[in-house]
Amino acid sequence: MNHQRSPAPEPTTRPLQRIPMRRSPLRIARTLLVSQYALMVEFRAEIVLWALSGVMPLLMYAVWSGAPAGAAAGVNPQQFARYFLAALVARQFTVVWVIYAFEEDNLLGRLSPLLLQPLPLAWRYWAAHLAEQATRLPLVAAMVLLFVAAVPAAAPPLDPMRLLLALLALHLGFCLNFLMQYAITMLCFWNERVSALERLQAIPQLFLSGLLAPLELFPEPLRAVALHTPFPAIIYLPAQLAAGGPIAIGPAFLNLFGWLALLLPLNLLLWRAGVRRYAALGA
Amino acid sequence: MMDRRRGLGRYGLSLLRFWSVSLAAQMEYQLNLIIEVVASIATLAGGLFTLSLFYAHGQRLGGWSWEEALVVLGLSTFLDGFSSTLLRPNLGELVKQVQNGSLDFVLLKPIDSQFWVSLRNWSPWGMPEMALGFGLVLVGLVRSGARPGPGGVLAALLLWACGVAILYSLWFILAATSIWFVKVWNATEVLRSLVGVGRYPISAYPPALRLLFTAVVPIAFLTNVPAEALLGRTTPFWCAASAGLALVALICSRLLWRMALRHYTSASS
Amino acid sequence: MAIVRVEELGRTFRVADKQPGLVGTLRHFLHRRERLITAVDQLSFSIEPGEMVGFLGPNGAGKTTTLKMLSGLIHPTRGRVSVAGHQPYRREPDFLGAITLVMGQKQQLIWDLPPLDSLAVNAAVYGIPDGEARRRIDELAEMLELGPELRRPVRKLSLGQRMKAELLAALLHQPSVLFLDEPTLGLDVNAQAAVRSFLADYNRRTGATVLLTSHYMGDITALCPRVLLIHGGTLFHDGSLEGLSQRLAPWREVSLALAEPLPAERFAIYGEIERCQGCEVVLLVERARLTAVVGQLLAELPVLDLEVREPPLEQTIGRLFQTPAAVAP
Repeated sequence: MNHQRSPAPEPTTRPLQRIPMRRSPLRIARTLLVSQYALMVEFRAEIVLWALSGVMPLLMYAVWSGAPAGAAAGVNPQQFARYFLAALVARQFTVVWVIYAFEEDNLLGRLSPLLLQPLPLAWRYWAAHLAEQATRLPLVAAMVLLFVAAVPAAAPPLDPMRLLLALLALHLGFCLNFLMQYAITMLCFWNERVSALERLQAIPQLFLSGLLAPLELFPEPLRAVALHTPFPAIIYLPAQLAAGGPIAIGPAFLNLFGWLALLLPLNLLLWRAGVRRYAALGA
Repeated sequence: MMDRRRGLGRYGLSLLRFWSVSLAAQMEYQLNLIIEVVASIATLAGGLFTLSLFYAHGQRLGGWSWEEALVVLGLSTFLDGFSSTLLRPNLGELVKQVQNGSLDFVLLKPIDSQFWVSLRNWSPWGMPEMALGFGLVLVGLVRSGARPGPGGVLAALLLWACGVAILYSLWFILAATSIWFVKVWNATEVLRSLVGVGRYPISAYPPALRLLFTAVVPIAFLTNVPAEALLGRTTPFWCAASAGLALVALICSRLLWRMALRHYTSASS
Repeated sequence: MAIVRVEELGRTFRVADKQPGLVGTLRHFLHRRERLITAVDQLSFSIEPGEMVGFLGPNGAGKTTTLKMLSGLIHPTRGRVSVAGHQPYRREPDFLGAITLVMGQKQQLIWDLPPLDSLAVNAAVYGIPDGEARRRIDELAEMLELGPELRRPVRKLSLGQRMKAELLAALLHQPSVLFLDEPTLGLDVNAQAAVRSFLADYNRRTGATVLLTSHYMGDITALCPRVLLIHGGTLFHDGSLEGLSQRLAPWREVSLALAEPLPAERFAIYGEIERCQGCEVVLLVERARLTAVVGQLLAELPVLDLEVREPPLEQTIGRLFQTPAAVAP
């Protein structure tokens, strides 16, 4: 990453000079983000397509707003509009694809040089995700504006405290989702075809995160169970915070931090064991 | 010099070889079967659960009863399974082949290249989902008390086939655009989420979207129109519209593929 | 009648232009700039049936583009091509059954399965009956010295074995025209030699026409009596390798060992000075003047030892490629 050499090769040979490495985290972060952003802009066409594929919450809003079941459960149309608009944004900024990127890098033999770099792989992918989110930003903004123009009731209530909390929950929800998928990704070191396992995590996530219906519509025992899984933190928590809907903020954040506290050391462990295994197999 | 057998026989035999070879390749990963069976059941359970939320208080959704809506969900599950069996393995592969240039080898074969890229691979892992979807259609039919006559069943099968043809064409058209925009891993994701629309009766959507999903993005023809036929509610108009649309979609996919090949410059020349 | 005929062939590509860095990225995002690149221009040649022709040129000279136009993968922008009596870009089944293209850096074999499975697919696609296919596989496997490797998953084969299996897959339908793009890329010396002798053998047995590109001059010298050299997309030389070296290197290297060091200026009248270090001097002398100059050198200078050498062809071609394409006649 950090080219310390002079731009033009020297004409005469001279012994390699050891320049002390300047590993400022800020510099690494900036370089990573800028280069990943450049990469993501190259992929903009498909990011647009992918962002479009995340319009599921809007379709669910369309069904729920006309369904008698919603009114019967005591949720009014404005609450639905606000919730699903917020869920749309949450979905756009908590999507994770690290397992596919890793799988491709592994398959194309790009992994070894990356593992040689003095920077844990997770940071590179994490930066790539942030860069991809930045590329999406204008698109999501346009979608939100369009939706609010079509359904004015969907505009979120202006409660700066809750919006700030929602932003925090959004990023933490992304981190949680990233860590969940990255833990599965690390299993690639043992078996190349683990992306199938990711499906087993993605399916409950789809149905329990609140993407298809706000959790207060779930029948009771299931609702309590769902609230203890990591999934609602990814969509339901940030969406309900932004939409101003009823949510027990304290327990929800507690649940989020609990899962983060569980996943962080797990990831670290798997990463270390995985790299050891990779080295042992001689790549 | 050439001792080629011509015509359909060669295509039939090729297809047989394609599928037995891709089955052999898939069998290298047996773990996938278990995962896919579990995933199919979980997806179906989740779909049923979400649908049940709309019926929690005994109402109808867009004028459809719970049992009738099950037929729609079953058809949509079936199409999902069909996508995993044929569409995703092939058309996902097409995008990869354009990227790494191995599409060259396909184009050099004396066989229709659209035939090859659409049918070269086959994955057994979508079969459980197709079976579950089929089962759900039967359950919905029996419980809703619909008794379609032989004509109704025939019409439903025709419309079902048309739905499959339309889905294939949409998918193929998207995948073929990878020849222009090399990196479209996600183009087909849009389609998948759109097909998700077809899990519910189209009449449950507001009128503007209903029009959109019928006339612009023909999702209604994938699940709703065949479901209506199975429930004995279709009209000749919908049959004709569906058949016509399927034909047009197939022709469009063909024309687009030809155009794409003219633009094909093959990667990493 | 020529089996490959190329007349004034040309191909232009559009490529995107992007500056590095954030600013370049943003500018590229807003406004894509494109450039036209001419990969092949005014290329004309023809090949008779049974010929083995080497196709030379530096990276980016247009070799692969030309091969792809000859095999019908790319439409030419200008000019005419005819291969085995067909226009390649139409990709008629008869044409595709008569040619093959082998690419050293791409593979058609299915990665997870033994080559035999891929061969079965090819046999069906080319409409070869099973018994006949088995006979051909046995014959080709024997020539290529492949045996149990055909029953092992491709991912477990060495690079050399894989290339041989690729050749087998590419030749199963007995094509009469072979386009080979870097078929020995990355192979070790033994595997290279094996591929070379197989190609020579195949050409002799079947009378197939071969057009071959390679970075290894050894492939060309061993196989191709005739070479086409393209540079900057246009044809620079068409003829024997011998002729090419005469044309490119109409000089000889004369190295001298002298009894005493002499100043470099003393040698200027004999030829171009390649190196002058103390008593060791290397001169480049035009071939026509060689005899006269050697006589003069021996008579006029304190020469202890004198050696005349032909400079290696790779080096002379390399020298040609450093100069702009405009020197082409």
